[in-house]
Amino acid sequence: MATAVALTLTGVTACSSSSASGSSASASDTLTVGMDGDSAANGYDPAKYTEMRQFFESVYDSLFVKTADGGVKPSLATKFAYNKDKTQLTLTLRKGVTFADGSKLTAAVVKKNLDRRNDAALVAYANMAKGGQAEIKQVTAPDDQTVVLTFVKAQPTFQEQLASDAGMIVSAKGLADSKELGTAPYGSGPYTLDKSGSVKGNKYTMVRRKGYWNSAAFAYDTVVYRALPDPQARANALVSGQVDVAAVAGSTSSFVKSRGTGLSSLGGTVVTLPVFDKKGTVSKPFGDERVRQAIQVAVNRQDLVSGLHKGDKPTSNAFPSSFDGYDASLNTTWGYNPDKAKKLLAEAGYAKGFSFTVITSQANQTDLEAIQKQLKAVGIDMKLKAAASTEEAFAAVNTTPLGYLAFNWPEPVVAMQAVVLGGFLNTQKATDKQLTEYTDAAAGATGAKRTEALTKLNARLVEAGWLIPLYESYSYAGYNTKKVKPLTFAGNDAYPLLSSIKPAS
Amino acid sequence: MTRFLARRAAMAVLTLLAVIVLTFALVHSIPGSPGAVMLGPGASAQEIHAQNELLGWNQPLAVQFWDWITHAVRGDLGTSLTGGNEVGPDLASRLPVTAAIALGATALSGLLGIVSGVVAAVRGGLVDRFITAFSGIVVSLPTFWLGILLVYVASIRLGWLPATGYTPFADSPVDWAKSLVLPVLSLAIGGAALVARQARASMVEALGHEHIRTLRATGIPSWRLLYVHALRNASVPVVAGLGMQFVGLFGSTVIVEQIFALPGLGQVAQAAVTSHDFPSVQGVVIIATLVVVVTNVALDVLISALNPKLRAA
Repeated sequence: MATAVALTLTGVTACSSSSASGSSASASDTLTVGMDGDSAANGYDPAKYTEMRQFFESVYDSLFVKTADGGVKPSLATKFAYNKDKTQLTLTLRKGVTFADGSKLTAAVVKKNLDRRNDAALVAYANMAKGGQAEIKQVTAPDDQTVVLTFVKAQPTFQEQLASDAGMIVSAKGLADSKELGTAPYGSGPYTLDKSGSVKGNKYTMVRRKGYWNSAAFAYDTVVYRALPDPQARANALVSGQVDVAAVAGSTSSFVKSRGTGLSSLGGTVVTLPVFDKKGTVSKPFGDERVRQAIQVAVNRQDLVSGLHKGDKPTSNAFPSSFDGYDASLNTTWGYNPDKAKKLLAEAGYAKGFSFTVITSQANQTDLEAIQKQLKAVGIDMKLKAAASTEEAFAAVNTTPLGYLAFNWPEPVVAMQAVVLGGFLNTQKATDKQLTEYTDAAAGATGAKRTEALTKLNARLVEAGWLIPLYESYSYAGYNTKKVKPLTFAGNDAYPLLSSIKPAS
Repeated sequence: MTRFLARRAAMAVLTLLAVIVLTFALVHSIPGSPGAVMLGPGASAQEIHAQNELLGWNQPLAVQFWDWITHAVRGDLGTSLTGGNEVGPDLASRLPVTAAIALGATALSGLLGIVSGVVAAVRGGLVDRFITAFSGIVVSLPTFWLGILLVYVASIRLGWLPATGYTPFADSPVDWAKSLVLPVLSLAIGGAALVARQARASMVEALGHEHIRTLRATGIPSWRLLYVHALRNASVPVVAGLGMQFVGLFGSTVIVEQIFALPGLGQVAQAAVTSHDFPSVQGVVIIATLVVVVTNVALDVLISALNPKLRAA
């Protein structure tokens, strides 16, 4: 569940990768992708990464792949089936798949890949390694085409985890020599690495592999990935036509748009201050709804976005703007109003204010410093303490009244049940009759009735001050409109699928 | 002159050796180990120990140092912990990029700076005041800001030059030059302002020397007086300043390499430090030290040629 909800205590995570070269890869059969970091900083083992799907999609096949609507479908696995209690997943592998090194895909190779899951350096496997939320107990290969995964506990949607870096399969030869895998990919994907056209950390050139089983899904003969970690350099390369597509940072999105370059955006992540201490156990004032409401209206979200998060959008909605239940009027009702904040504090008996401490991380320090000043203006003294360890950061749900969270809502009802009402955001087990009522109503309804329940739920989350939304974070992908069709995102993945990028004509 | 050169060369070797020892000691005193870097934060102490054993990290420092230095003198700087590539060839492929930028920027800033500094000193008056004031403003402009501005004008608005990237000389000399113009300019403009101020001051001082006044009295042509006698005197501090600027630029190319996405040493140094890639860090430090040492020797030779009195120092 935790992985499905995909949330982080450390703030919105940026992605990474990119590359650069001066040569103009302008042939119509060449796609040049500007990445926001080094695509292969740690070599070519896809399991060493968690956010390099777009790059490794060019050289590796994965057991499942993402689809344009955000779902997943079989790829190297052609069929899959769960046992009754969802503790076992049986995969049937595609026949006739060969790796670029000439070896064949077999169940034994897949088993070998997944049996590396407890190697701590292979971060893509973290969730399925020993102690992970989706721990795999055993992998067996009863025959050449069949792989059986047995889990420690039920995993109803495990295939989703195999549609990214963790599901990519390295050949037996690649697995046998980690040094070789450090300098070249060993995959069965649509392209192979052209070493002569590549400079580590700067540019990676991929050329089409003859005989690839799904060649038609990939439009370009050559794909060049250029590492452009600097957001402005990436934007410059995009608007000047040096790259055809690129991840665009929010701070440069206006510039890119102003130059007539295509820009696709993806929201869906609401950065919020979750109130852990709804009962006032750690800090008494937080037990009073009016105090939480005072913080709600004391925060100047527009200032925060203008100063620190250009390209994002201020919001007082708990839900993202594309969701059922989003209500624009909440942005006014619970927008910046310091006088109202002071009034609410006085009504709650804190006319002279109060103080409390939050734990900061490197990622949220600047935001919290800005909010600290805004709260100070209404008399609330928010002290900041840098987390000395990951343990301290995670313990904050019990030791501090307020946190900082980039919340990605894949399914509002499930997220409410598993995170907000019954999960780590509510370790004190606080209750709110309306929140439970609206969550249950949304769970059992469809259509207009579900929308109505979610709208009420969203409004109550904000009114009760369980969540103090700050801004909706947006990912941007820019494209050269003359060369590439408008980019689309696969669900809430910030990087368009390589297979979805097509020539404009 | 031979003794002078021998002395300087011996000092250079000693400096290099001292830096190697220091770097080696520093790298080994940083918390963590290659095994921990390779295996990641979740690895157990036993796993890290076993990996370090494999890499020879658990051996006595003296043994490791001897092993490293004997390989280094043969050109083998080890293997990158994160990418698995050979450090030596990787750095060798990046050195021309950084060297081209630093050399180009030094040459350009020297040319622009000396010309404007000398003009300011010789012409005086309004020209002098303008050059002094203008160079004062330019010297305070940050490199990254200049870089972004140049890209906006030359690449985005005019489309004359590439906004990012590097083309090797062997691929296309024209594209190579084009890819260097903006990075070199963004470094050279500030450098030229510094040189101009220094050249102006040196030239003003040189023109005040007694022997220049004597020469002027002999009636030699003024161009010869200015550009041969006075400029030669003024050139010693300017050349020394340019040498130091080259060393400084060599180090600060990391900024332009980032802005222009150039595959130079700065880029690899930054990645190596971030990922605790010890062999790459050591390799970069050695190359940087070599550049400083060789530059200093070259400077000494050049300055002693300009002013033979300094050879005795």
